[in-house]
Amino acid sequence: MRLLHAATLGAGLALALCYGTAQAATEIDLFFPVPVQGKLASEMTRLVDVFNKEHPDIHATAVYTGSYDDTNLKTHAAIEAGKSPAAVIMSANFVREYVITDEIEPLDPLIAKDGQTPAQFMDQFWPALRLNATDQGHVYGVPFHNSTPLLYYSVDAFKDAGLDPDKPPVTWQDWLDAARKLTKHEGNQTTRWGVMMPGTYDYLGWITSGLAMSNGGQFYNQDYGGEIYYTAPTTIGAVRFIDELVHKARVMPEGVTDANAVTTAFFQGRTGMMVLSTGSLSFVRENMKTPYRTAFMPRKMVNAAPIGGASLILPKGNSPERQAAAWTLMKWLTSPEIAGGWSRFTGYFAPRIAAYDLPEMKSFMTEHPDAKVAVDQLAYARSWFATYNVVGVRKALEDGVQAVLSGRATPEVAMAEAQKQADGLMKPYVDQTALKLPE
Amino acid sequence: MSSTTLPGALARPTSAVRRRPARARPAVTAYALLLPSAVFLLGFTYWPVVQVLVGSFSVRGFRIAPHWGLDNYARLFADPHFGNAVLNNLLYAVGTVIPSVVLALGFAVGLRESGRVRMAMRTLVALPMLIPLVAAAALFVFVFLPGGGLLDWYLAKLGVASHNWLGNPSLALGSIIAITVWKNTGYYMLFFLAGLAGVPQEFLDAAKIDGAGPIRRFWHITLPLLGPTLGFVAVIATLNAITQVDHVIVMTQGGPSDATNLLLYYIYQQAHQNYDLGLASAATVVSVAALLALSLASLKTLERGMHYES
Repeated sequence: MRLLHAATLGAGLALALCYGTAQAATEIDLFFPVPVQGKLASEMTRLVDVFNKEHPDIHATAVYTGSYDDTNLKTHAAIEAGKSPAAVIMSANFVREYVITDEIEPLDPLIAKDGQTPAQFMDQFWPALRLNATDQGHVYGVPFHNSTPLLYYSVDAFKDAGLDPDKPPVTWQDWLDAARKLTKHEGNQTTRWGVMMPGTYDYLGWITSGLAMSNGGQFYNQDYGGEIYYTAPTTIGAVRFIDELVHKARVMPEGVTDANAVTTAFFQGRTGMMVLSTGSLSFVRENMKTPYRTAFMPRKMVNAAPIGGASLILPKGNSPERQAAAWTLMKWLTSPEIAGGWSRFTGYFAPRIAAYDLPEMKSFMTEHPDAKVAVDQLAYARSWFATYNVVGVRKALEDGVQAVLSGRATPEVAMAEAQKQADGLMKPYVDQTALKLPE
Repeated sequence: MSSTTLPGALARPTSAVRRRPARARPAVTAYALLLPSAVFLLGFTYWPVVQVLVGSFSVRGFRIAPHWGLDNYARLFADPHFGNAVLNNLLYAVGTVIPSVVLALGFAVGLRESGRVRMAMRTLVALPMLIPLVAAAALFVFVFLPGGGLLDWYLAKLGVASHNWLGNPSLALGSIIAITVWKNTGYYMLFFLAGLAGVPQEFLDAAKIDGAGPIRRFWHITLPLLGPTLGFVAVIATLNAITQVDHVIVMTQGGPSDATNLLLYYIYQQAHQNYDLGLASAATVVSVAALLALSLASLKTLERGMHYES
């Protein structure tokens, strides 16, 4: 009856009535990005509706906030305006910056209320994810969906090039050899490339860090947000390898290719292999018409792949009631059942180890060996580089690697410039921390 | 498109003078009528302008007390990315303003007469202005896809090798310029069509009788009489070249290697990616000052060659 009334009296009154009747329900908002291709936004809205039905005392609103970078920007803006969102699905490597700028609530008190220690809480998640979610033993993020770079390859292209689809490349040498065999020319046109990878901002820094890590590198200081190693031999070697693929072996197109161009080329058979996030698994599975498989990122010195994806965070500036409601939502979203369902829907792997013990997850893994490879690679995953001013620091690297991809700079020159830029961006922090002497 | 002034206002500056008696009304009514707009202008335009000016002199850092100084400007002029953005923006301005204005004028002169075919052509040329820049940019990402995109697909039929239109630093700015020209030409054409309607037919007929060909008629009658419209369109086009970066955000994010970084996008990056509000404010002040100087200079230069009909 009440609802009927509201409908006739118009939107303004309806809103007032809602607030009136739902006095007990705590209103919270969840900022969420959609970072990879696919229908993630509608699924998130559906999930939050289910949550609201199961929790009548909480009313959560899912707010779509664009890419990871946009979400970061909007969260900062909201915090500054005094309207902190109750929960944000934040790119996992931005968490450190929120800790540095003191804009994030430690989750330890909420975990303690549930009778757990921070270490016990983090033990529920894959080991590779723990570093990006914690800082000096305190928990700041709850891993929500995570990914690593993955090698996708076309079975038909492999057969056509005389390669065995059961034996994907394992080392960089195998990788280069396979790419050479896969590359096909017709006149002055390349009709099939050996390998393609996204070279646009955000993706390129992540993939380059992965190559540097397989080359034996640390890439960044895991314990301190003011250091990054762009001029280390392991990073230079990784960028030289990219240069080799493009300009010497000519098995990868020159210049910057975006993720859409990479997947389109893969679907059309214009590239034999591609490097893409595990988060795109479902998108590839739905759109690839011919058989394809996935493999670990090939190694140079060690098997390694950086973690990507996002964690749920609780920004500062929320009332205790909203904090408690947000914590309920965070725990619900990262519960094995929900995390497993989201993983099957998107392709991201579920950060909760227990999600993989569920029967529906077990049968999904046997049906989809491409998703199993992604989970197996987790044993070799590393944390995602995180520094002060991380977006600018990452972009400095990407501008350098893009110059190499375009044949405008040598890896050494490009990385020296990138290091200089990155050091400049981190200087305010470094000056006040590592370089600050006790007075 | 943000402008609301019509070229007619520029074309007939004398009309306001003639109507002077009508303005001798009690000032209270006038101010009361102006008040609503004034409140919004003060709150959303002038106050932010003051804040940006003040902010550009406020030096902030990590965990240090803010103080006043010129550090932001010193850092701005030392930043190679800023120099690069200025250079890109100059190229972009020249590359978009001249072709789109020349094309718009050409289309307007060619399509000014009535007739079904001409009307259809006019609609076609003006159509891109109905598409929001963001939507157009999102579409063109696919048109420009290397290898599989529409552009490369047709070029391949002509035997042209595929190009990485947005991913090659030498081509990316050119691709961005091409879309802008495609998008804005029709809009500017409308202004020229309006301006052409004000060119008296008897002048053209007289010249025709005296034996002047179409080119001479254009150079000596049409173009001089279009002076005010041309001046207006040139200023609008220059403003657009600095204030519209939607397609850069959608298509390239200023890349590859900073090749498509324009001033406004540089400001956005400093403010939102690096949280460097001081540097962003300084860059804003410098670009707005330059833009203002440029607009005034171009209006002055064009005004000298303008012929007003009276």
